[in-house]
Amino acid sequence: MAILNGCEFPDDRSYYIERTQMTWVRVEGDRVTVGLTDPAQTRAGKILHVRLKAPGTARERGKPVATVESGKWAGPVMAPISGTVVEANSEVEADPSLLNTDPYGRGWIVRMTPSAPAELATLLTGDAALSRFQEILAKDNIRCVRCQA
Amino acid sequence: MSEATPTSPTPDPAGKKILMIMTTGPEDPDKTYAPFYTAALMAAMEIDTTMYFLMHAPELLRKGAAEKVPLKKGGNLKMFVDMAQENGVKFVACAESCRDLCEIAPGELIDGVKLVGSATMADLALEADSVLSF
Repeated sequence: MAILNGCEFPDDRSYYIERTQMTWVRVEGDRVTVGLTDPAQTRAGKILHVRLKAPGTARERGKPVATVESGKWAGPVMAPISGTVVEANSEVEADPSLLNTDPYGRGWIVRMTPSAPAELATLLTGDAALSRFQEILAKDNIRCVRCQA
Repeated sequence: MSEATPTSPTPDPAGKKILMIMTTGPEDPDKTYAPFYTAALMAAMEIDTTMYFLMHAPELLRKGAAEKVPLKKGGNLKMFVDMAQENGVKFVACAESCRDLCEIAPGELIDGVKLVGSATMADLALEADSVLSF
């Protein structure tokens, strides 16, 4: 687990960083799990509502798999890879604060089956990911906090 | 991690069209935040979202104006204007309101605003699945 500016970055994830998007991906067999990173949940603020794409929804990379609202921010969570949503985390729909309090655990968003597995190799990992996050955290002056429910 | 169950059966609005008619300008800051926030959210939901600015509303699109609109919860309107544009909301402004009421020259508007005639509002309203007025 790396920590930058109070933001946690687990070693067992890949990261999708594109414009305002900062999501994590964990490969689990032929599926991937997708969620918000610590800086993403911090930047959003206390998340009040979330809406997830239903299982069966096909997504191109960069198309939304969810929308989140915090009162100060409303925006999409983009698919970090192309594929089909096979599970949507109903627990975060019932309790969106999990996106803030446990973004790498119970606050996962969707699981997908990739349609273009080669895209996984384009996600950032290790030092390359941390270097990119370091730039963003410095530029946007982000220090992570975990809002409580 | 817990196992998930299928998500709620709310119909997915992706692909629908919404037109927001915006008539309030900086004279009433409390009425400016919600339309931009809502439009940003709708665009994030893949709803084709257009905001049409007329009467005093184009004043909000004048370069440097949104920064001067204070919000009750702190900060100013600029971040919500930016958020709407980042999420893909289209801004169109009534050319007559800009010229005759607000006295804004086209070059004084922020980037990404399309100036149109009044008839376009009718076209947009008739094309939309829903029209919201603020």
